[in-house]
Amino acid sequence: MARVRVLLFATAREAAGRGRLELTIPEAGARVDAVLEELRDRYPRLAPVLATSRIFVNGESVARRTAPLAPDDELAIHPPYSGG
Amino acid sequence: MSVLLTRRTLRVDRAYAELARGVDGAVALFVGRVRPDRGPRGTVTHLRYEAHRPVALTALTALDRAARARFGASRVVLWHRLGRLGVGTASVIVGCSAPHRAAALAGCRHLIERLKAEVPIWKTEERARPARRRRARPSPRRGR
Repeated sequence: MARVRVLLFATAREAAGRGRLELTIPEAGARVDAVLEELRDRYPRLAPVLATSRIFVNGESVARRTAPLAPDDELAIHPPYSGG
Repeated sequence: MSVLLTRRTLRVDRAYAELARGVDGAVALFVGRVRPDRGPRGTVTHLRYEAHRPVALTALTALDRAARARFGASRVVLWHRLGRLGVGTASVIVGCSAPHRAAALAGCRHLIERLKAEVPIWKTEERARPARRRRARPSPRRGR
């Protein structure tokens, strides 16, 4: 099993009711989309937010949601930015 | 410091001093402030800003480099405030110095637009509920 840390910001945090959490997923299928699926199951209100969010793994933007994850990776959910 | 995420007050005089350290002929500054937007859910009283700090600092540093390369900017300021800010408070200062005004102004505009689109910073609104209109009480009829 792979433990993955998840950071949630702004509307993602509001939808989940928390800003950070840890998930344990099977190491064999440890991919970004598996984590997102788990998040949607746990927090249904996150689904529409995830649809418009960018995903970062260990501080790097992830283009494909099939990207693999390693144990202790940090996955961050970035809803559309609104600084300024 | 050209790139900054801080909970402390942003000072325009310090941003100007940072940009005016060289001998450039032009300094352009933009200051974004919290405005009291009105809507059906009330009027904005505060904005709460948060950031994914390490990713935001990397993105701001990339913007700084890009502005120097693209506009020939000598100095750049990209400062963003975090935390709960009241109406009228400066939330962002962006600035650019260059030998001439065209580059400084274009660089400054470019920086604020890209900051808003590409840097992981978010704001959440706090609004005061709109005051309910009181129904005027019908005046008691006076007997004649």
